[in-house]
Amino acid sequence: MKPLNLLILLGFLAGMVWVIALSEESVRSIQASYYRIIAPFVKGGSQLELKANAFLKEVEYSKDLEERLHRTELEFGRLGAIEGQLRELERENNELNAALDFKRRTEFTVTAARVIRRQPSTWWKTIEIDRGAMSGIARQVPVLASGGLAGKVDRVTPGRDESSVILLTDESCQVSVQVEGTPEVGIVSGQRGQIGEAPLLRLRYLSKDAPIRPGMKVVTTGRGGLFHPKILVGMIESFEPGAFDGEALVKPSVDFQNLSIVFVTSAPDNTSHEKSKEDE
Amino acid sequence: MIGYLVSVICMVLTAIVLQQFMAAIEGLYDARILIVPLVFLCGSVTVSMGSMLVLAFVCGFLWDAQHLPGVMTDLGNTVYTRPAEMLRFGYSIILYASMGFLMQGIRPLFREGKWHVSALLTGVAIFLYLFAEFMLITFVRGEFILTRGIMLKISFCALLTMLFSPLVFWVLFKFAALFNHTIRYDGLKTRRRA
Repeated sequence: MKPLNLLILLGFLAGMVWVIALSEESVRSIQASYYRIIAPFVKGGSQLELKANAFLKEVEYSKDLEERLHRTELEFGRLGAIEGQLRELERENNELNAALDFKRRTEFTVTAARVIRRQPSTWWKTIEIDRGAMSGIARQVPVLASGGLAGKVDRVTPGRDESSVILLTDESCQVSVQVEGTPEVGIVSGQRGQIGEAPLLRLRYLSKDAPIRPGMKVVTTGRGGLFHPKILVGMIESFEPGAFDGEALVKPSVDFQNLSIVFVTSAPDNTSHEKSKEDE
Repeated sequence: MIGYLVSVICMVLTAIVLQQFMAAIEGLYDARILIVPLVFLCGSVTVSMGSMLVLAFVCGFLWDAQHLPGVMTDLGNTVYTRPAEMLRFGYSIILYASMGFLMQGIRPLFREGKWHVSALLTGVAIFLYLFAEFMLITFVRGEFILTRGIMLKISFCALLTMLFSPLVFWVLFKFAALFNHTIRYDGLKTRRRA
């Protein structure tokens, strides 16, 4: 081996050791700096992605409209096209109304955010949203969507209005939950290796003889101080008793495939955190 | 040589920007084109081992800065006592270097002008990279899970990325010509024939 290559190899190994030994705070700091630099491009990328999706939807819609028009042309003529347009407007209106209604129903402060990027990485189930530090959003706060709990904020770039959300379908997003109508509490998280299908969550640490039936609601307990209590997570799909404890599969209440608007909540207050500690 | 290496690093930085525009294709098991690993793999076969290690460090560091999510270690409560383990920041540097060494293995063929072998190997290397990454996650979290969906995702990622390798090689050849860096040395072929 050439002496120069040997020196570079030693330098590489030293660099490796330095990087691997970095503390979590240092890593966060590096990531924040990185995202500050890359932010304009991320925004550009997400805008392009949104435009492409809008274009595809438009194409899809145009095709649908064309077919409808063709079918109804003989019966209604020009009215067929107008009806199609009105239907689309009605759908959009209903969606917005549902979102507004959801915001009114929630009992804590929420900030509405638009999903600007889905699954930016290969293995981690995350999304990026257009609200961040400048909107008062902090790390680890719960994120809701129409339907229930969607995940929690994972990364906030200081000085930018963007953040990253780790979804409930990711294995590393753990939530303390209770099966409604029973005393059963456990930890729900995503499952590894679920790709291109309706994801199911894994609810662990239940009693082996828990009286759990499919269709029962799963809600957050509020324990641990991360998530507000009584947020809907999903419905029990199946339950399997084990030798020592039981596990259930939960169908999430949020449609993760069509996530476009989310609501970032305020952090649960410390009193509930303390109360949860007392409960234990 | 230095000029060429700097140009490849600039290409990596451009690839990082371009990667932001690469959405996952839902119809293909959320596969995506991995431009940064592609530029690294193509670049690593055109440079010496030392330069390849520099590239691996830069690419791996930036890749982890972009992608690695946080861990639940700072909660300080008794509810989430068993958080899912996360890979350490910097693991990608090791993976990049490993794939770089794999590409270096066929460097003599590349220098004979058989760039298409390297192009094919980029697909294999991307496959191995993603597979190794998934296995690392499995190792730190336990419970061996390997579904058809995962294998298809890895395969489609590798295939899609590999399709763009001739384009990257073409750009690299242009840079090599610009900076007078010899990445194709036909003398090797002659020597072998003799």
